[in-house]
Amino acid sequence: MEMMNELLEKYFRGETSLSEEKELKHYFSTGNVSAGHEIYRALFDAFEEEKQETASGPLRKVETRKRSVKHSWINLIVYSGIAAAVVLVLWIQLPKQQPDYAIIHGVRIDDPEYVQRYAEKRLSYVNEILKKGLRPMKSMETVQQNLQLLNKIKEIHDKIMQQEEPHNINN
Amino acid sequence: MSDVRNSTFLRLYKCMESIQFNQQILRYSDALFRLAKSILRNTEAAQDAVQELTVKLWERRNALDEVENIQAFTMRSMRNLCLDTIRKNRDEDELPEELEYEERNPYQQTEQKDLAIRIRSMIDRLPELQRTIIRMRDVEGLELAEIAFITSLNENAVSVNLSRARQKIRSQILKEQKRVEETIWK
Repeated sequence: MEMMNELLEKYFRGETSLSEEKELKHYFSTGNVSAGHEIYRALFDAFEEEKQETASGPLRKVETRKRSVKHSWINLIVYSGIAAAVVLVLWIQLPKQQPDYAIIHGVRIDDPEYVQRYAEKRLSYVNEILKKGLRPMKSMETVQQNLQLLNKIKEIHDKIMQQEEPHNINN
Repeated sequence: MSDVRNSTFLRLYKCMESIQFNQQILRYSDALFRLAKSILRNTEAAQDAVQELTVKLWERRNALDEVENIQAFTMRSMRNLCLDTIRKNRDEDELPEELEYEERNPYQQTEQKDLAIRIRSMIDRLPELQRTIIRMRDVEGLELAEIAFITSLNENAVSVNLSRARQKIRSQILKEQKRVEETIWK
């Protein structure tokens, strides 16, 4: 007991040799541990438990990693292909956007506001021409209306003449 | 005919190389795994580290013949590799170096009844150097000189760190015992 006390104190000071530490481990692995030392049994149990831990097949994992590297290359190629296909489809499908421009008197004009103002001006000019062109048509309408009145007078005259003719026969 | 002979010799040579490598390195893979796990505090990361180191050592297997103490050399390589990994991922998952052992709440106490498990948790909370040294000594049973080589310290510094680590664990065990006794008497 006394010897174990000294050995434990030496152990905690980090002064024990490997053989002394083996002795301590052996002491704590048996059933003859004094009550005062029982508290430290778990410490040596913990070290013993840790010693049982093993690496789970490092060589198998090396193969796994090699395969995963290959897979990553395949994935890279596949995803690159998909991305290229998507870009190609979009390029074909989407309408190509070209800059707006107009040709005025043989000159390319890129300013949309200027082109709009020019177009409005030209349209109002066309409107004026149309208005002027329709004026003679209006005169024709007036003539037609007057002719319709003359026709009506002629119809009335014909009716009166028809009514008078039988009267003259009877007489 | 000579091609067949050359091919057979090549296969035999590779087979011998593989057997030699197994004898030299793979018999330490469990110890390397435990060291990596102690430093990285993560089982999967430790397995990856063992794998990475094994591949590196296989690539440089011809140089291993000149190494005097293969175990100490591989352990040192493993520690350096793990420290590099921590440096790379410092902001991600490494626990603070000086994290103190915390008192556990009753729920955690019921969950972690086994004192041995709690002690392993206490060791995990020691600074990297101390937990590496205490495990290399008390789990792997390495000489102070070997630990000094692995950690790039002198033997005296190893001894000091080993003492500090053991004293800390002792005080935490005593504290734990006191707390359990108080709980029982309440």
